[in-house]
Amino acid sequence: MRGLLVAILVAGPVLAGIAYSMLGALGVVGPGASGVSLRHLQVVLADSATWWGLLWTVWIALASTLLATILAMGTAVAFRAERGVDRFARLVAVVPLAVPHVVAALGAVLVLSQSGLLARLAFAANLQTSPADMPPLIYDRYGIGLILALSWKEFPFLALIAFSVIARRGALLEETARSLGAGPLQTFRVATLPALWRGLLPSMIAVFTFVAGNYEVAALLAPSSPLALPLLTMERYTDSALDVRGEAFVLVLLAMAVSLCGVAAHEWTANKFEAAE
Amino acid sequence: MKASRSGPRVGLTLVLAIGALLPLALLVALSVSVEWFYPTLLPGRWSSANWDFLGRGSEVIFSSLWTSVALALCAGVVSSIAGLFAGREIARLDGWRRRLAVALAFLPVAVPPLALSIGLQYSLLRAGLGGRFVGVMVAHIVPALGYTTLFFVGIFAVFDWRVEQEARSLGANPFDVLRRVTLPLLRRPLVEAFALGFLVSWAQVPLTLLIGQGLVNTLPLELMSYVNAGQDHLAATAGLVLTIPPLALLVVAGLAVRRLRVVIA
Repeated sequence: MRGLLVAILVAGPVLAGIAYSMLGALGVVGPGASGVSLRHLQVVLADSATWWGLLWTVWIALASTLLATILAMGTAVAFRAERGVDRFARLVAVVPLAVPHVVAALGAVLVLSQSGLLARLAFAANLQTSPADMPPLIYDRYGIGLILALSWKEFPFLALIAFSVIARRGALLEETARSLGAGPLQTFRVATLPALWRGLLPSMIAVFTFVAGNYEVAALLAPSSPLALPLLTMERYTDSALDVRGEAFVLVLLAMAVSLCGVAAHEWTANKFEAAE
Repeated sequence: MKASRSGPRVGLTLVLAIGALLPLALLVALSVSVEWFYPTLLPGRWSSANWDFLGRGSEVIFSSLWTSVALALCAGVVSSIAGLFAGREIARLDGWRRRLAVALAFLPVAVPPLALSIGLQYSLLRAGLGGRFVGVMVAHIVPALGYTTLFFVGIFAVFDWRVEQEARSLGANPFDVLRRVTLPLLRRPLVEAFALGFLVSWAQVPLTLLIGQGLVNTLPLELMSYVNAGQDHLAATAGLVLTIPPLALLVVAGLAVRRLRVVIA
């Protein structure tokens, strides 16, 4: 029983924060509070910026998770052997894991901006003559720079798991598939890929959740329209009109709902696959 | 057959290495130069000027570095020790109680940092801790403790409780058991938990921003203002400094892992 109490203590500040955000969303506490009303809720839910922000954030999180997963699977499959080159590749692939998110965002600015390294390389190759010739890859509508930065940052985490899946289960499953007469492509399809998918899915969901909630990378790389959900929340929360600040609480609850769905999905897939092992 | 396959593999390795390391190499180049105008591929003037702050305590980047270090050290120490006790208690539960407790400990990790910041701001400001080092430290400890608690739940899940029972049956009191049996056995996980707590605080942005209210300036915040001001050389220098501790920890962890002959490297 003491363990439960301890857990409540660990989660206490968050539980208090959730309660505070709920009360704030209802207009009971917080900046511009004026008694219980559903006004903030109505305003936020009727605001198209909310839904564009949510949709855009989900798009960014989905695209960067998928890109990171493909890179991780590709690296794990291509460099699975025990030769020097494979070990070196696996080592190098893990490096971005150590880079803080805000530094990854800086790296993206330096490489992808219109006067960044990529633009300079294009100039050197006579592909462009001025920064304006470079297609915008940061602050762009589709969040290409943001997606590249996030998948660069998150792919080592998934790669580490993919390495261990291949090392633990890959060989046996593939041998079985081959002994049953499968060709190389079929072996990959029926043995390697499903094993990687099962091993990676819980972590993919974790990455999705983290990426969707990240503030600093979006702050440095996202466009001002559409405004990503974390940026929209910050903008509302620091608005000079006190009444608008109350709307931030509704957005906070929305972000929490997204991440709690992520946690539930993570637990569900992790348990399901653990049972299957 | 082997020779014909190694060509593209070396090429692939090169692509991977460039992809993973180029942004960092760029940071290094920018941090040791002062002029690098479009469209030149290499810096025009090399200089150590960006690192001068290390010798001069008056600069913003210097004070923000020390604020970051102090915050991360505090968060690391507090969250590793508190996480050990919390994880130990939770690991002793079973059935639904354990699942509930783990889910609760998961909250500080899972809730987006910005949402956490807005939720925490009220209580910390009411307690008079807004815009102060202590307030930001408390805020950093919240997610750090979530991580270390979960970490120690995992450690204690495979911990052999019989050693403690044995010590008790030989007449040791609970304090002695902790000091002479449990802690020495857990020295390594404690160091790892410290590193975990340190890193959670080290890279933190939204909590510092909202609880610190612009008065507590850390290196990540300094980096962001350099980027917004277009001061690429200083931003790169700050970025490198920010990358050094986690990279060092990764190397140490990687070496430890290699010693255990697992599969990373």
